[in-house]
Amino acid sequence: MTQVNEASLISTLLDRIGGLGCIQPNYLGKATIQVNADSIRKIIEILLKSDNTAVIVAITGLDLLEKLGLMYHLRTHGSIVTVRTEVPKDNPRISTITDLIPGANFHEREVADLLGVVFQGHPNLARLVLPDDWPKNLYPLRKDADLQEVTAKLDSCLCSTQPEIEQKQAQKETGLVNIVVGPQHPALLEPEKFSLTVDGETVKVVEPRIGYVHRGIEKASEQRTYLQDIYLVERICGICNSCHAVAFAGAVEKILKTEVPTRAKYIRTIILELNRLHSHLLVLGHAGLEIGYETLFQYMWRDREPIMDLTELLTGNRVVSSSMTVGGVRRDLKEADVPKIKTQLDILKKKLVFYQSLFQNETSLKMRTQKVGFLSTEDALKLCVVGPVPRASGVNTDVRKDEPYEAYGEIPFRTVTRTEGDTYARLMVRLDELNESINIIEYALDNMPTGPFRVRVPRIVTAGEAINRVEAPRGELFHYVKSNGTAYPERVKVRTPTFANLPAFLKTAIGESIADIPANFVSLDPCFSCTDR
Amino acid sequence: MRSLATWARLKSPWVLHFNSGACNGCDIEIVALLTPRYDVERFGIKLEPSPRHADVLLTSGAVTRQCAERLKRIYDQMPEPKFVVAIGACACSGGVFKGNYTILGGVDKVIPVNAYIPGCPPKPEAIIDGVVKLLNSLQQPKSEGKQ
Repeated sequence: MTQVNEASLISTLLDRIGGLGCIQPNYLGKATIQVNADSIRKIIEILLKSDNTAVIVAITGLDLLEKLGLMYHLRTHGSIVTVRTEVPKDNPRISTITDLIPGANFHEREVADLLGVVFQGHPNLARLVLPDDWPKNLYPLRKDADLQEVTAKLDSCLCSTQPEIEQKQAQKETGLVNIVVGPQHPALLEPEKFSLTVDGETVKVVEPRIGYVHRGIEKASEQRTYLQDIYLVERICGICNSCHAVAFAGAVEKILKTEVPTRAKYIRTIILELNRLHSHLLVLGHAGLEIGYETLFQYMWRDREPIMDLTELLTGNRVVSSSMTVGGVRRDLKEADVPKIKTQLDILKKKLVFYQSLFQNETSLKMRTQKVGFLSTEDALKLCVVGPVPRASGVNTDVRKDEPYEAYGEIPFRTVTRTEGDTYARLMVRLDELNESINIIEYALDNMPTGPFRVRVPRIVTAGEAINRVEAPRGELFHYVKSNGTAYPERVKVRTPTFANLPAFLKTAIGESIADIPANFVSLDPCFSCTDR
Repeated sequence: MRSLATWARLKSPWVLHFNSGACNGCDIEIVALLTPRYDVERFGIKLEPSPRHADVLLTSGAVTRQCAERLKRIYDQMPEPKFVVAIGACACSGGVFKGNYTILGGVDKVIPVNAYIPGCPPKPEAIIDGVVKLLNSLQQPKSEGKQ
C-alpha cells in the first residue's frame, strides 16, 4: 500500500463527504469524522468506495455517560480514518454496516454484547463473548453497570447443568450431522466450541462459540493505573505479550506526547521480532502436528527453545517478558549479550534453509496443505482479515511498512506476500518472515544507538485519547486508550488479530473436507485468549 | 493389586491438560514439556486427550464463569484416584485477573487441587518439579501432596 500524503487524503475525504460530517485531521489516525448516527452507513459507503482496499479495523464502543459513543476505525491508504458517532443510552440503535462490509459482523456483535448497542439489520446479534448464563440487560463496559452482584454470585454458576447436546431430531430428516468440537477437545489447545454441520465428509456450516476465555480485561484495565495496565494487557496473550505491551505503552506515549529514546525503540524492536520468531516457529510446528507430521512439530519446537532463551537473556523472562514500560524499556541491552544473540540467530538461519527445502519438496506436507482453505484476495479484503492471512492472498498489508512504529522506519526489510491464498501459502509466508525477522534483529544489533533506554513520565496522564497499531505475529493489533486526566484510563479497547481473522475460517471451512479443517484452522494461527480477552 | 496400580501410576502417569481461561503462556509451556529439550515422555508422562484415561489433570487459567462448569465436568469424568495440578499464578489464586467480572479466581474454587505451581508462567523445569513432587507424595499415601 502506498503512502498517500495527508493533505491530499483529507481533501479527497472532504470532497466526498461534503456536508455530512465535520473532519478533524490528524486525530485518532489520519482523520476523525464526526457524523450523525443516521448518516453512518452513507459515510462508511463513501469511504469504502473511495479505496477498494479499505477495511474495517475495529469498532470501539464507549460510555459517554448520557450517550454511547461509537467509533468505526477504517484502514484506508495504509492509515486509519475514524468515523465517530453517538447514540442515546436509553435507546441505543444504529443501522448495521455488515451488509456493506461483511468483516464488520463480529465487531458489531462484540459491541452489542458488551455495551448493548442494537445494530439494526444485523444478521445475527447473538451472544459472543459473555457467558451463557450472564444476566440480560447487564452490559459490563457501561460505567453504571452494577457488576458486584454478579461477581458475588460467581460460585453459584456451578449448580446449573445445561444440556449441551441437542439438535438431534432435525438432523435425521435432512441427512446433515452436527459435530460439536470443544470446549475441551484434543485438537484444540484452548477451550472454544465449534459446531460443524457436515454432509458426509463436507462441512456445510460452522458456528463458533467463543468467550470461554473472556476475562474482562478491558473493564479491569479501567480499574488499574497505567503502569499496572501494561502488565495486565501483556497477559491478554502469553504468545504475543510484548506486542500488547508495546501497543498499549505506545498509545499512552501518544497521549503524553512523549518521545521514546531511540535506543529504547531499537530494543523494543528486537524484543518484538524475537516474539515473532517464537510465535511463527510455534505455529509452523503446530501445523505439522495437525497434518499428522509430528516430526516437524518436534523439530520446530526444538528450534524455538533457543529463541526463548534469548528472550530470557534480554528481558529476564522466558515467556511473558514484562520488559516494556511507558517511556521506554525496563532493561538495557548488555553489550556482552550481543554475540550470544548473533550466534543463536546464525544457527537458526542455517536451520531455516533446511525447513525451506522441506516445505518445498515434502510431497505429503504439500498434499495436505495446498489448495486447502482457499481465500481469494477479494474475500480477504471483504472479511477484513489481518497479518499473514491476507499477505498469503496477495494483499500487501503490514503495519511495520504502512505506518512504521518503533525502529521499523529505519530498518530495511521486505514484506512477504504470496498469491496462492491457501493453507500452504499462509505457512510459507510465516516461514519466509522468519528470515526477515532474523535480518531485522541483526540490523538492529549492528546499528544500536547509544543513550538512555527510558525517560521518566508523569504518573497521571493528561486527558486525551490515542490509537496505536502494532504488527503482532498474527497480524495487526489495535489498541485504543482514552484518558480522563486521572491515574486510571477511562477506556481501553483492544482488537486482537485473531478476532479479525476468525471470519476467514468460517468462510474457508465451508465446502472443505472435515479432515482438512484442523490444518486450515491452524494456518490462521488462532489465539483465543487474544480473541476473548 | 493396589501396589501394582500405584507403581504403574508412578512410572507412567497420563496427564490431561485443560485451559480454564489462561493467557496461553502456561499452556505453551506445558506443550513445551513434550518437546525435545524437556521431553517428559522419557519419564513415562504422556499427554492424554481424553479425561476418561487421565490420572493427572494439569489446569491453567483463572477459571472463567463459562469454563467453570466444563472444568467440573472434566474432573468428574476422570477415574479415581485422580490428581489435580494448578499451573500458574492464575490457576493458584486468580493472578492478575482476580476480581474481574467473569473470574472465579483459582482452580481450587471448583475442584480440589493436589499441587500448586506458581509463576507467570512457571518455567517448564518448575512444572516438571511440581509433577514429580506430586508423584513422590503418592508413595507415602498419608502425606498431603501440597508443595
